[in-house]
Amino acid sequence: MEIDLGPEAAAFRTEIRGWIAAHAPAELAAMTDWNAAAMTGGHSVNAEPEQSPEYAAWEQELLDARLICASWPEQYGGRGLGPVENAILTEEFHRAGVPRIRRGFGEGMVGPSLMAHGTAEQQEHFLRRIITAEDVYCQGFSEPDHGSDLGSVETRGVVDGDEIVITGQKVWTSGFYRANMMFVLCRTDTAAPKHRGLSYVLVPFLDNNIEARPLKQMTGAAQFGQEFFDGARAPMFNVVGGLNNGWKVAMTTLGFERGGSATTQHLRFEREFWDLVDLARKLGRERDPLIRQQLAWAYTHVQIMRFSGLRLLSQLAEGRDPGPEASTSKLFWSEYEKRLGEIAIDLLGAEGLVRPEGEGYQVSHWQDVFLASRAGTIYSGTSEIQRNIIAERALGLPREGGHKPAPKPATR
Amino acid sequence: MELVFSPEQEELRRSVRRFIEARSPLSAVREQMESETGYDASVWRQLADQMGLQSIAIPEEYGGAGSSFVDLAIVLEELGRGLVPSPFFGSVVLAAYALLDAGDDAACRDLLPGIADGSRLATLAFTEDSGSWDLGDITLSAVPERDGWSLTGAKSYVVDGHVADLILVAARTSAGLSLFAVEADASGLTRTELPTLDQTRRLARLVLDGTPARLIGTDGAAETSLARTLDKAAIALAAEQLGGAQAALDMAVDYAKVRQQFDQPIGSFQAIKHKASEMLLRVESARSATYYGMWAVADDGEDVPIVASLVKAYCSEAYFHAAAENIQIHGGIGFTWEHDAHLYFKRAKSAQLFLGDGDFHRENLAERVGI
Repeated sequence: MEIDLGPEAAAFRTEIRGWIAAHAPAELAAMTDWNAAAMTGGHSVNAEPEQSPEYAAWEQELLDARLICASWPEQYGGRGLGPVENAILTEEFHRAGVPRIRRGFGEGMVGPSLMAHGTAEQQEHFLRRIITAEDVYCQGFSEPDHGSDLGSVETRGVVDGDEIVITGQKVWTSGFYRANMMFVLCRTDTAAPKHRGLSYVLVPFLDNNIEARPLKQMTGAAQFGQEFFDGARAPMFNVVGGLNNGWKVAMTTLGFERGGSATTQHLRFEREFWDLVDLARKLGRERDPLIRQQLAWAYTHVQIMRFSGLRLLSQLAEGRDPGPEASTSKLFWSEYEKRLGEIAIDLLGAEGLVRPEGEGYQVSHWQDVFLASRAGTIYSGTSEIQRNIIAERALGLPREGGHKPAPKPATR
Repeated sequence: MELVFSPEQEELRRSVRRFIEARSPLSAVREQMESETGYDASVWRQLADQMGLQSIAIPEEYGGAGSSFVDLAIVLEELGRGLVPSPFFGSVVLAAYALLDAGDDAACRDLLPGIADGSRLATLAFTEDSGSWDLGDITLSAVPERDGWSLTGAKSYVVDGHVADLILVAARTSAGLSLFAVEADASGLTRTELPTLDQTRRLARLVLDGTPARLIGTDGAAETSLARTLDKAAIALAAEQLGGAQAALDMAVDYAKVRQQFDQPIGSFQAIKHKASEMLLRVESARSATYYGMWAVADDGEDVPIVASLVKAYCSEAYFHAAAENIQIHGGIGFTWEHDAHLYFKRAKSAQLFLGDGDFHRENLAERVGI
């Protein structure tokens, strides 16, 4: 069933649909399944097509039409799309089978932080480079001893003239192998209370006394890294929001991106679900009442993601503030994904015991789904942290005794 | 499909909530739990005369207000929130839609106006002693007589069957499953009220022995029409469950903010926070699913059968989870008769089992999506 988002949204949908038809290179959609996304971090199945001339031509079209970082305000090089338009953009690209090119951490985190806390000169310099992918960022927040408790990071930043010199260690860095920049949270005042002695610095990642090593995950793949900083340097110009004000900057999350994938995020899970049904059929177990219960359970959860997305988007379209459901989405899909991985490997039974032949620790698709699904409830705030946040912000339960309330982030 | 309530619908919700808070608070619910009929006839009359709620989704040509299913579901959500004991679900949901879905214009003209103005209570009797919610398991038989039909057999788990003036009975004829109307004073009808786990919703067992009945709709067509009715009823019941689940969550959170142990509110402990946020996650998920289902019915969407089973399975378990955790968060006081937590717990279980539990509906769902 189509959801009615009003005449303006309908007009925008028509416009985008027409634009795609007129501008997408003819061969692009057929090259690969651009909508396919591995469950968690996953394999980059589209690495090769992304090197093609068609992809490059498409990227240029998107840049010309300001459809990269399109939700950024126009003054910063975007198109100022609201959440509803943003969701429609994703839906229409998805429908046409063409890639929605995004700029990762740069688009979602660095850009918004610069817009909220950067100087006009910083915005001028850095934002454009994110849009063009001249700068590709990875995140330098977590440390070996500080994951959920980010306020305690120990990596040191020492001011040396008009430069800041960084020494320490960061970890769990996804996409480090693509990055030429890292946004780093480091301690610039050791005497101040822990949240007040931090700075947010945009650090050149290459040839800068940073040793980056891939970190092998439990899946056998190495998709994130750990970095050793031994006097890495950045100009003071690259400190965002002022020295010792990094906590506030780091907590700026993307206000305008919210809702952008509300009506499309379930699609990858839906695809995975039907693959699982095919597996059950192949194993001759689709009539097994227990298996059917599990499949129906999974289908229910995928559809609830869709229903919740539609509900969120409808509220945004009406200009209403979304209710508490907006804060539960990450918890919902990451916990679902974990359970789905378990259902899949249990369905395989004895077959799940044996890996495919090959170099290193090769795993089959469903073994990978099972193993990789353990990450989602840990990264970007563990499920336990998510539950604390939901309890305190959506339900208004008091903070734990004995702790001073931490400064509240500007947006959720 | 819009998925956002109009200002009129928001006002409807507020006025129903205000009415329930004034006229049927939980103290009044407890009185009705002990009463003969199980509901307050004066509240029922006010629901009809002042608020017109019984008529809300019944078409105008049959004496109703002709509003959408969404409006009806809003009322049900509020009734579920307040645990209001009333024949509303049996009469206005089960019986009214059984008549409408049967597509019998004459019967609708005769029978719906009384349901719409609240002057007659109706219900639907389809379950039997087997306790199966599957229409295929119905065995009660109907045979044609000279001027009408005659029914013989037993029905059970009939909601408000002890007080209904009109009972719609699903029975098997030589043509297949069919729907019949039986008057409460018909000959050969014996009604026995069953003592229920959930005292806010009464059930009865009916024995029919050559009881005269009127055929509703086409002989043998009820397999299809009742399936449609039960899909709507599943979503309607889910709306009630949603209201109850939110009430249980609110009760738990309010208590966790004020109850002090170890010199701090228990709501500051992560053990309690994580329970509460899991309740919220499930209640909000139930809300997204139920609201989608309400609009799907209102728009006569093709996916109603799928959504109905999905929603009933999910909401049943979300409500039970919320009601059970509410007791746990309250600790000892939550286990007492005096505290209201058990009223929600019992309603949650009765609503979960009624019309089929999660396992039943997940199997339906698997079948309906083509697994």
